[in-house]
Amino acid sequence: MQIKVKLYASLRRQKFDEADWECADDDRIASIVEQLGLARQDVGTVLVNGLHAGWDETVQEGDVVSLLPRMGGG
Amino acid sequence: MSEKTISNNPASVVYQRCTVDLASGTTTFAQVPCKNLEDVLGGFGRSFQILAERDIAEAYSPENPVILNTGLLTGTSIMTGMRSYFSGYSPLKQSGTGRPGAMWSTGSGNFGNKFKWTGLDEVIFENRSDKPVYALLKEGENGPEVELKPADHLVGLTGHGKIMALYQEYPDAHFAAIGPAGENWENNYMGAVVMSTDNELKSGEPKSRFAGRGGMGSLMGYKNLLAVVAQSSDKLQKITPEIRDVNRDILKSGGSARFQPASQGGGGGTWANIEVLQVFHAVPLNNFRPKGNDDVERLFRDEVEKEFDIATEACHRCGIRCHNNLFYKNEDGSRGKLAAKFDFEPLILFGSNLGVHEPAKVCDLIHRCDLLGMDAISLGTTISYVLDYNERHPEKPLFNGATFGDYEKITELIEGAGRGTLPGIARGVKRLSQDAGETSYAMHVKGLELPAYLPDTNPGYMFAIAGGHMSMGTHMMLAKEGKHSLEEWTQAITTGGLLQVGYDMIGLCKFVGVGIGHDIIVRALKEAAGLEIASGEIVAAVRRAYLRGLALELRQGFHEEKEYTLPSQVMDDPNPKVTLPKFITNEFLGELRQRVWSVFKPEMEGLLPVKGE
Repeated sequence: MQIKVKLYASLRRQKFDEADWECADDDRIASIVEQLGLARQDVGTVLVNGLHAGWDETVQEGDVVSLLPRMGGG
Repeated sequence: MSEKTISNNPASVVYQRCTVDLASGTTTFAQVPCKNLEDVLGGFGRSFQILAERDIAEAYSPENPVILNTGLLTGTSIMTGMRSYFSGYSPLKQSGTGRPGAMWSTGSGNFGNKFKWTGLDEVIFENRSDKPVYALLKEGENGPEVELKPADHLVGLTGHGKIMALYQEYPDAHFAAIGPAGENWENNYMGAVVMSTDNELKSGEPKSRFAGRGGMGSLMGYKNLLAVVAQSSDKLQKITPEIRDVNRDILKSGGSARFQPASQGGGGGTWANIEVLQVFHAVPLNNFRPKGNDDVERLFRDEVEKEFDIATEACHRCGIRCHNNLFYKNEDGSRGKLAAKFDFEPLILFGSNLGVHEPAKVCDLIHRCDLLGMDAISLGTTISYVLDYNERHPEKPLFNGATFGDYEKITELIEGAGRGTLPGIARGVKRLSQDAGETSYAMHVKGLELPAYLPDTNPGYMFAIAGGHMSMGTHMMLAKEGKHSLEEWTQAITTGGLLQVGYDMIGLCKFVGVGIGHDIIVRALKEAAGLEIASGEIVAAVRRAYLRGLALELRQGFHEEKEYTLPSQVMDDPNPKVTLPKFITNEFLGELRQRVWSVFKPEMEGLLPVKGE
């Protein structure tokens, strides 16, 4: 199935801003991040269709997965 | 500080104090045994115990000290171990009863190292001088020496100007100075302490660091103490294999990665927060009221890079390299003069939150604030209130009538605040909004202006004891994790959030990025300070220190309901443009307060000295 992946800040500078991505029906977020070639420790926040999601969640056809780097500081 | 093993005997650790009577010029040295682990760890953990012994009704009173101290790891070879702390009762943070709140403020640079290497752990500046002076702290043949010197030649100089003038006299020293804002202490309560860096002294460019929060620079100004010189030989601790491993782990653990240079695969410093928060339209805009548009994207790094040359630089021997210094580009494309340092707080609070989106103009506003020696958070947030008020009341505007985006008029406000001609601004947003009669959109909690994270996303601000995001680590929890239940927020505030302050005891920078009880911290204390302290003991000491600060707030008259709250606009007029969950209501805050106090209050008993003892 196809999903859309959006990357932000340092992650998009590593890879791309936005891309359509093919994945299996039972792929979990953690697996998708790995397929993208991103280090899990670099990803701080995952959103699926704008809502916070966990590493073990699965996605559905047409979902928009947004990956944000770790944030912090002041 | 003597290096001995500790465990259950904190008194075995002794620190070197000098008490300076600014009125008489006398100095008194003492070897002080530690009372508890908070004393041992240092920073505000120690200074707040001194402040707790005093009954201070007015910040500007001779009895209110300025306490300069270090943390246990300051001056060691542990990466970022260079923090120094300035503590006192704040002219800015004030309870409804009019009594001042205790504060500390901290910064890096190389001043903390040099201070520690004089042989001193703590200097208490008492009373006030009748003439401008600076304090010279130096190592002598028989131990540290302290001397007060006339500072007439420094009067009127910027903080950076004072530093460079003193550098001519003391080329082997580092410096902490106040700017014109601190000198105008009567009309300016947000004066910062400006601290020198190696880069600054070598280049002559104003690459200072700042202990900004709470007006500690203004308190120095009240005391007529214009600068502190720390003169000592470099005493770089030998980097043992164990210390090397700790430093490697600081860089590799992931906690600090977000602050490391973008060119090396890091997050690019706090600047990156702007792009991440924009995903939720949660970047402060026009006085903390995002419009759901893309205005702030003009301050994204990619955009700024088109106009400026960005250099990532570092504090003394720090591999995190979090500074993003912007330089103008010459016509031939080469690097020109320094424009400003772009950290998240000043970038937003002098940029989008004032409706200013052109990077060059933002640079200029930051630069002006820095040179005048003010806290960027307090000034930026107070000015955004002025602009908001003026937009709401064009018929009777405040000051020069500046509104959002009005760059020229904003520069006038900054200059006037720093030079002492606009006390209405420079005494902070709490007083200004009360005088103006509109407090709902004055972005402060307990008199301290909010940093560049929306209060709509952080009820934890209520329980910050020394600035919204540096003393309660919940400011990004909603954006990071989406958590918004009472249980989650109670848990966050009463456990992990408060431990944020631990770094302001031990002498390291928060950008190390791991929890205060982490194995890296335990190993750092063991290898660099020679003290074996279990993780649980560290956490317990930090918790006590935080709770002592909270107890001190109540003793100074902060009302446990009315003043532990957020700007009422957050509850009464939620911003529909922010795409994060909207959960902060008056009822939510009431219940959260009740739950948090029920956890904290029993633990706060006995943490303050009993009167007369």
